Amino acid sequence: MEQAADNRFVIIGCADADKEAIARPTITYAQDAWRRLRKNPIAMASIVVLVLMVVLVIFGPLLCGWEYDYMQPTLKNLPPSAEHWFGTDMLGRDIFARVCVGGRVSLLIALVCTCVQVVVGCAYGGIMAYFGGWVDNIMMRVIEVMMSIPYLLVVIIVMMVLDNSVPSLLVALCVTSWCNTARAMRGVILQLKSSEYVMAAQSLGAPARRVILKHLIPNTIGILILNTATSIPNYIFQESTLGFLGIGLQPPNTSLGVMISLGQAAMEFYPLQLIFPAAALVLIVLAFNLLGDGLRDALDPKLRK
Amino acid sequence: MLKYTVRRFFEMLLTIFVIATATFFLLAAVPGDPLSDRADRLPESIRENLYRKYGLDKPVLERYVITMKGMLHGDFGESVRMPGYDIQKLLQETLAPSARLGLQTIVVGVGVGLLLGILAAMFKGTWLDYIIVFFSVLMISVPTLIFGLLLQKYVAGEMGLFPIIGWPSGEELWFGGWAYTVLPTLSGCFSYIATYSRLLKTSMLDVINQDYVLAARAKGLSEPQIVRRHILRNSFIPIITVLPMSIAFALTGSFFIEKIYAIPGFGRYFIESVQSRDLSIILGQTVLMSIVYVAVVFLVDILYTLIDPRIRVGGKA
Repeated sequence: MEQAADNRFVIIGCADADKEAIARPTITYAQDAWRRLRKNPIAMASIVVLVLMVVLVIFGPLLCGWEYDYMQPTLKNLPPSAEHWFGTDMLGRDIFARVCVGGRVSLLIALVCTCVQVVVGCAYGGIMAYFGGWVDNIMMRVIEVMMSIPYLLVVIIVMMVLDNSVPSLLVALCVTSWCNTARAMRGVILQLKSSEYVMAAQSLGAPARRVILKHLIPNTIGILILNTATSIPNYIFQESTLGFLGIGLQPPNTSLGVMISLGQAAMEFYPLQLIFPAAALVLIVLAFNLLGDGLRDALDPKLRK
Repeated sequence: MLKYTVRRFFEMLLTIFVIATATFFLLAAVPGDPLSDRADRLPESIRENLYRKYGLDKPVLERYVITMKGMLHGDFGESVRMPGYDIQKLLQETLAPSARLGLQTIVVGVGVGLLLGILAAMFKGTWLDYIIVFFSVLMISVPTLIFGLLLQKYVAGEMGLFPIIGWPSGEELWFGGWAYTVLPTLSGCFSYIATYSRLLKTSMLDVINQDYVLAARAKGLSEPQIVRRHILRNSFIPIITVLPMSIAFALTGSFFIEKIYAIPGFGRYFIESVQSRDLSIILGQTVLMSIVYVAVVFLVDILYTLIDPRIRVGGKA
């Protein structure tokens, strides 16, 4: 077999033989989710709508040139015109400016309550599930009690003790907001707790805080985002309910709920005063809901490509 | 199982007690009292008598003990806003309208919702599915409040098809006076339709891909048989956990619908008594509502373990 050297075979070397390398770039879960979300036209459209709404509620009153609480007693109940884009209400205030300011309250509530819900809910749920036993039992009872007291009562009492301003409305809505998240987190973390990587971290001597923050919470991010997306419309609804019942903000403050309540009074003859704030509310909530649906599809590992 | 049930039952009692305590002290923490509006104009001696009548002259802790003792006998005290009324009398008058509205809403809402959910899952990817999904997202995004107001304005007001406000009473309390109930039921049921159609669709799509459905199909069962016997039965588990909560929620009244359509129900009185700080009625209604909720959660837990053998209590059994 010494004559095997045959020019039918050529040595090509092995320098560029990286056939084993993974051809596709590896992408993380978040990148993959974002890529899939970008391909979903409805979700992207709702992001655009939300960004537009944010811009509008911040700059809207400047754009149309009216103050939301500037009354013109001679210009009551006007129909929409070039001067007043959405018309004026029963006190001659510009409805467009008022819708913008009302939307500001709604979006602010969505933002703040969500932050509180995520931070407190994660911490509470994480501690509850990680330690288990009597800690879990007591903390769970606390949640049960908090959830059983009608939120209307809690909100009204907080608003009575504080005052009828936007910050106290935020406090009132935040008080019970985190309970659902904490429960959901508890459920997920109870499942994750027995994973190998948690055991590995524990046997390497990681303290509870590190295990919860570094290992458990990041793995619940999908559930967390879904939980958040479904609760945002709820906050906006709750605010509008309170405004409608006359418990929420008081004049001169306004919100979409307060405007809907005023619109109901004028509904008989000037239905547009009800329809404009209602439409703004529906648009915001619809955008959040569609975005939430898109996120659910994007975050579902079963649909990962 | 029995041990678990007994333990849960006592925990339930404890929860209700804590809720009553929390509500009492929350109400006590609010500055001022419900009588001051009325009492400020009265002479000193009458004012003192008025406060004594409602026990508001005593320190908070003593009032707490008295209230709790009364609660054990079902006595929550007399209403401040409506003299002569107590929680039992209020309940007699307001529970029936709320319960009827709630039942009608649930039957229509859940029925239609489940039907649409089945259709959307069976015809996944077709125009029917898209239409159902679109409308359910739209329905979730419009608050009940706005549905109520718009229906009232256009269907009742402009078209005059149904009465604008009101609710059947007397002999028609449970059956009859249907025209009055159409719009309130309709406004309430949209959110249930949307929730249940989405829930059932998701749950059915999970089940459809299971191996036992494939096996049933391979055996040559007809499509309706597969859906009825294998898919639906398994996809109802999430529905069963949510349904009792919805029923409890609906029976205790809807705040806005009752307010919009002027229905003399439980929810409307709750708002009114909270606004006028009618302590005994608020406490009574809160405790009643929480009893209903906690009892429902308890029942669901028990039902859940009975229905789904995969769920075991406490790791053993």
